[in-house]
Amino acid sequence: MLTDNQRRLFLKGATTIPILGGALLAVHTILRYFKPTMAGGLKATMAPPDEAGSADQIVANLADLKNPWDSKDFIYVRTSVEYSSRKTQGAKIPGFVVRLPNDVPGVDPGDQKTWFVVVQRICPHLGCTFNFITNPSELQGGYNYKPPEPVHPYFACPCHLSVYDPTRKQDNGTGTLLRGKVVSGPAPRPPRFMKFDIKDGQIVITDTEGGGVG
Amino acid sequence: MANLLERIILWLLGRPAWFRSLLPQRGVVGQLWHWFWNLGPSLWGWLVERWDKMDLFDESHTEKAKTNPWYSLGGMWYWVWMIVIISGVILMIYYIPVTDQAFRSVEEIQANWKWGLLPIGALVRGLHKYGADAFIILATMKCYRIWFTGDYKKPYELSFIIAMLLLIIGMYSGLTGYLLIWNQRALWATKVMATFPTYLDKNPAWIPGGAFINATNQGKTTAQILLGGTSIGPATVTRFYAFHFLLSFVPMIFFELRVYHRGFKRMNISHWAKFAVFAVILAVVIMIPAAQGSPANPEVTPNPILSDWYFLAMYHMLKLQDPYLATVLTVGVPALVLAALFLDLRPEKEWGKRQIANWIGIGGLIYFIVFSFLIINGIADIHRDAPLWYYSAGLFLLVGYFQDWGYVMKRDNKKWWETFHLFFVAFILIAMSANTLYHYFGDIREWNQPAKAAAAQLMAANKGMTLDVAFDHLEQTRPMLNLWMTPADALASGHPKGVELWKLHVFGWLACIVLGTAIGLVRWASKKDAEQAAVAAKLAAKAKPVGA
Repeated sequence: MLTDNQRRLFLKGATTIPILGGALLAVHTILRYFKPTMAGGLKATMAPPDEAGSADQIVANLADLKNPWDSKDFIYVRTSVEYSSRKTQGAKIPGFVVRLPNDVPGVDPGDQKTWFVVVQRICPHLGCTFNFITNPSELQGGYNYKPPEPVHPYFACPCHLSVYDPTRKQDNGTGTLLRGKVVSGPAPRPPRFMKFDIKDGQIVITDTEGGGVG
Repeated sequence: MANLLERIILWLLGRPAWFRSLLPQRGVVGQLWHWFWNLGPSLWGWLVERWDKMDLFDESHTEKAKTNPWYSLGGMWYWVWMIVIISGVILMIYYIPVTDQAFRSVEEIQANWKWGLLPIGALVRGLHKYGADAFIILATMKCYRIWFTGDYKKPYELSFIIAMLLLIIGMYSGLTGYLLIWNQRALWATKVMATFPTYLDKNPAWIPGGAFINATNQGKTTAQILLGGTSIGPATVTRFYAFHFLLSFVPMIFFELRVYHRGFKRMNISHWAKFAVFAVILAVVIMIPAAQGSPANPEVTPNPILSDWYFLAMYHMLKLQDPYLATVLTVGVPALVLAALFLDLRPEKEWGKRQIANWIGIGGLIYFIVFSFLIINGIADIHRDAPLWYYSAGLFLLVGYFQDWGYVMKRDNKKWWETFHLFFVAFILIAMSANTLYHYFGDIREWNQPAKAAAAQLMAANKGMTLDVAFDHLEQTRPMLNLWMTPADALASGHPKGVELWKLHVFGWLACIVLGTAIGLVRWASKKDAEQAAVAAKLAAKAKPVGA
């Protein structure tokens, strides 16, 4: 025969489970209200985050990038996910094309695609738009970095003073070597890449690395 | 059938008792076991006791407030909060939460919303902006008052915790609020803030469960929930508009419910004081009209770019830290302050009798002011500054620790070896070894090229790498305290100084933490044992018939 105490204990235990389950369901529902693309059920816990889509876009002419360290900044429009009735929005991603000199390791005079560094200008640290600094004194005064000899231009971010060296490569955290090695500041990885093709003397962006906040 | 069910239930209920019978009832293991089973009820009891004593806006210090102005901070705080809410609701009439109209609508409010010559719009917006600043200032001052007067001590912990949470909510409300203007500062601060959580998906592999947490993508999901998509846009503005109102208004409803329920006076200040506070804010509004900046442009980050004043110190910290550590610290600093509450268990409230708490407070204030000053003036040598800050933090704690130690010795009339609090020693060791490691790995990087070259050569020779690869490896030990750097990595560098330092510090920490925890547990368990024995003896005495 169950005593009163035992009965109470059992009933308490037995009601805890549906209450906890209900609370989990409520949390899940609220999360799905805030993020409508979230998968249902248990899948929600391990679902990949939303990523922006991309389409081919012409961004620069080779004629403008004849000399070493010629650069061009451009805006690439990427289809970004938006939780609203229109589902997507065109997010502007600023980018840089930089023509490298031939003496940089990895540049092959016979292969045009190795001549250029094409990066997203979104700092992989905390998302500011970084600059292409050609003046070493500006680099030292504004970005707290004294470049070693021989001096060449660098990418540098005004927010937290990360400086990237376009002539050198670094792992992006998934095993891909990218140009723009971090030489100063808090950034954990080189800038995100843009995949490109060269067609009819023009640089065409075909894909972008995801993961950042646009 | 019912009988079978009953037997199953009895069997289920019997399990804990059976497990319990396997374990000792006394000593460290026994007491930990009791503690675990009583965790729920004891936490609930703790909360209920504090809930009754909770003091949110100094409503229980009405008498003190008449003579001591520090105790009218709570009343002023609530009054300012009301000003902000009312002016905010008035602004809602003309504000348009759409990206391409938001900036224009604020301009409209500033310039064209007039009553005769009186610029109503500009005044209301100024009151809202400077009122919010006053809210943060008063909240900070109140937290500091509670901290320095020791008013957070048992059973008033909840007053301090809620005040801190309201301050954090206020800061977050400020952040969501200033995006609504849709100017440059707002856009870039929001971007930085929204990129923060993504580092929660980058836990280093040596943290237990780190890989699993990374696989859930909860950091990115948080960022996307905040922004309403993968980038800042119209959905972000409407979301922030909703969060801004929700965060500011809902806590007020709860406070009003408590006022209604308990029947106390809402603000412990006179009407004259209320008028004075309002007049001061109004004077600031008229003297320094609220700025609007230039419209948001996602293509250009201005240099320099600053956040609102209360985030400046944190912004400076971001320059000096590894981003993962910075994210953890940003979440962790308020958590650490709340935890410090429970480390300071002595009942003394007097200023001179708890110096370590004072130094934590003063140190925090100094860092806040100095960091804000440095970032406003763009002074930072990010390769050299960080060790200085770590050292000075260790120094503050060390001074406070020795002062406190001296006080305890005097109070209890004991020799130093009788009052050796291992826990704080461990704490300071951790701080100091972090400094030393930092200094060492910084040393071989930027400002000591010969040392770096020597280290690279040694490493190349020891590990059979080319000199270039060795240099690259050393460069990854950035001057920031790097959590990815494991003891194995440090040993792999092959530098004798590095190896020795790692051994010394890792074993030093471990020994201190293990010893401190063990001694604490044994003392706690023996106290509990004594309490239980006393209760048992009382019961036995009661059960004994009189005169037997």
